[in-house]
Amino acid sequence: MPPRNTGGRGKLGFRTRFLAGIMLVVTLVTGAGLYFALREAAANFEDELQRDFQSKLDSEHRVEEIRYAALTEHCRSLARRPRIHAALEDGALDLLYPSASDELRDLTDPDDDPSMPGLHANFYRFLDIHGAVISPPNPDEVGRLSASDEAQLALKTLPDQQQVGYLYRGKVNGKETVDELIAVPIVSTENGEVISALVLGFASPKPDDTTTGIKSGIWLQNRVHLPSLDKDAETALSAEVTTAIASTGKPGGRFTTQIGGVRHIVFYNLVNSSSLFPPAYQVCIYPLADFLERQRHMRWQIIGAGVALILAGLLASKIISDQLSQPVEQLARDSEKNQVQREQAEARLESKHIELQRSARFSADTSHQLKTPVTVLRAGLEELRTHPNLTPETREEISALIHQTFRITSIVEDLLLLSRLEAGRLQLENRPVNITRLIASLQDDLSTQPEGLGVEANIGSAIIHVRGEERYISLILQNLLENACKYNRPGGIIRIGCHEHEGWVLLTIGNTGPPISPEAQEHIFERFHRGAANENIPGHGLGLNLARELARIHGGDLRLVESRADWTEFEVRFRIASEAKIAVPHDV
Amino acid sequence: MRILNHFLAGGISVVIAHSCLADATIEGNVALPKSRTTTVVVKRYEIVSKGGIVSVIPPVAVVYLDGTFPRSMSPVTKEIAQKNLTFIPALLPIQVGTTVAFPNEDTVYHNIFSYSAPKRFDLGRYGPQDRPIPTQVFDKPGLVTLRCDIHEHMRAIILVLQTPYFVTSDTHGHFKLSGLPAGHYTLKAWINSNSTSERSVDVEDGSILHIDLP
Repeated sequence: MPPRNTGGRGKLGFRTRFLAGIMLVVTLVTGAGLYFALREAAANFEDELQRDFQSKLDSEHRVEEIRYAALTEHCRSLARRPRIHAALEDGALDLLYPSASDELRDLTDPDDDPSMPGLHANFYRFLDIHGAVISPPNPDEVGRLSASDEAQLALKTLPDQQQVGYLYRGKVNGKETVDELIAVPIVSTENGEVISALVLGFASPKPDDTTTGIKSGIWLQNRVHLPSLDKDAETALSAEVTTAIASTGKPGGRFTTQIGGVRHIVFYNLVNSSSLFPPAYQVCIYPLADFLERQRHMRWQIIGAGVALILAGLLASKIISDQLSQPVEQLARDSEKNQVQREQAEARLESKHIELQRSARFSADTSHQLKTPVTVLRAGLEELRTHPNLTPETREEISALIHQTFRITSIVEDLLLLSRLEAGRLQLENRPVNITRLIASLQDDLSTQPEGLGVEANIGSAIIHVRGEERYISLILQNLLENACKYNRPGGIIRIGCHEHEGWVLLTIGNTGPPISPEAQEHIFERFHRGAANENIPGHGLGLNLARELARIHGGDLRLVESRADWTEFEVRFRIASEAKIAVPHDV
Repeated sequence: MRILNHFLAGGISVVIAHSCLADATIEGNVALPKSRTTTVVVKRYEIVSKGGIVSVIPPVAVVYLDGTFPRSMSPVTKEIAQKNLTFIPALLPIQVGTTVAFPNEDTVYHNIFSYSAPKRFDLGRYGPQDRPIPTQVFDKPGLVTLRCDIHEHMRAIILVLQTPYFVTSDTHGHFKLSGLPAGHYTLKAWINSNSTSERSVDVEDGSILHIDLP
């Protein structure tokens, strides 16, 4: 496994990359938001102005509608008066104005009726059947007009609907006046013909709107009349508006221009379409300086907000990245440590494995090497025993020697078994083994032993099967039973117990006799251990160690239950073989 | 033939002169504009004004002999009454100097006035019981349109003529002027305020002339 070498650099890289990533995202988002907000604001502003302008027009239109309705009513009542008819039809135009003065008195009254706003006329004139103005005999009563102004009131023909127009009257009382003209037809009740028209002139104050800053005026006959502008500005604007009107040919529009050195936006709108009077446009101007100022202000506000957003985002991203990178770095460090540890462990494992293999091989080799001379020795001794010239004592000694060779062989076989166990080369057959029968046969064997010990068996009547290989299980039990005999006292007993508990089969083998000292108890399962007090008892000390190893590879275990004054008990446990898998038991 | 006529005329006129100053007669037909209604109930006409022209419905003509004539010695009084919210008669030809009375024979008030150039007057509001009955003397020739200030549809015209010799034709245009003095005159027919037909005539004593106008 190749060791990782990015280590510290990787940690640093993660943090900076994360930070950079978040910063980039925040900046991009803020920048895009900024850009679109500014664009929206700019686009909306002109439309907002247009809407203001339009709503101004609309509100004025409403006032005018009231005015028109009132005037229509007046003229209708005029038309019903026989004197008016008489004056118009019977050739008595000089009597027209006096006859009408009563009807129209409230129009010329200086007191404005609050319920009828804007209904005070500066002057009025009647038109005859040809549309020419009927000059009044009493101009002062009906509003004095110069001859040229009066002539502008005339129409080509008598209208059949209300007409709107404008009249520029020059300086009246020192003020430039533009009057709004309304021509109302007077329709004969007799035959429905238009017999005359009444033209009224209303003051047209279009005050500058201080809330929105829009200034308004009238364009009439190639001249713009905006009271708040000076002469030159007015003249320049007149030319521009005239050009704009002529070029686009549409009834309204807007453009930007310099007025008095300041950038303005100009709206113009035709106010009297399809009128018999000459066309008049309402012209509104709005200084863009203010708008630009506001735009600039808003731009700075948005940029400020954007910068604040970016800074906040940076801070947030720094905090977040710190928070996140800590565990990540910890993780990296830990994994490195683990890696190192693992490598070390693997190395140790490897070496242990090699060692183990070596010792197993040693054990196996040694055993094999030992077996041959022992066999030879035994054979030789047996042959010697058959010699005819031997004394009985000599024959007995040779028998003892042969017995010893069997011992050697058994030790060697045990050693071989152990080495195979440790090398992991012991193949275990996992078969159900009838332990009840095994115990019974071992019991039989025990009954022949020369010490005359009593053997008791508490194994119950049920037949119990355990998993494993009969050969080794037998070995374990034999071992334990041998020890039980060897370490017993004269006249003692051996007790075998066997019961099942939660899937385990527990075998207990206990014997009377001297106990194992507590210090020795820790070491009894070690290889080549022999009880210090038992130097005289034959044995080789591999027994318990081997038995335990064998029990363990069966999935069970061997332990010392207790060892007290006159009782020592061992317990070995095996896995119970489940009923379903019980094959027909057979003898090994 | 002419001499014979003259003799005859002279003869006849002498005969007639014994009875009535040798008066002549002119009769004829005036060409009238077409009209939808020709039936007139009790000689009731309607005065209409259209496009500035005052005319009579159904159309009739006032035929008169135009010239200079002496004023009549005896004061002539005519009248135009108001009844059922109308003037009766709606058309009244009179000679200059005639007095016209305007009795209110209706059930409501009326206010007769006129703005016409030959005579402007305003009789004020008066009811059927009010006395004296207002009168006006018309001493200028011309067309006078009468209106009522209360009732806008009421209309009447008085045709003030210099001559005492006038007659209203029938709805077919047929007229007959009698008792005419001899002389050279112009025969005129007033059809509406915008058209008057005329023809010069020489009236002989006791002659009967047949003239169609125009």
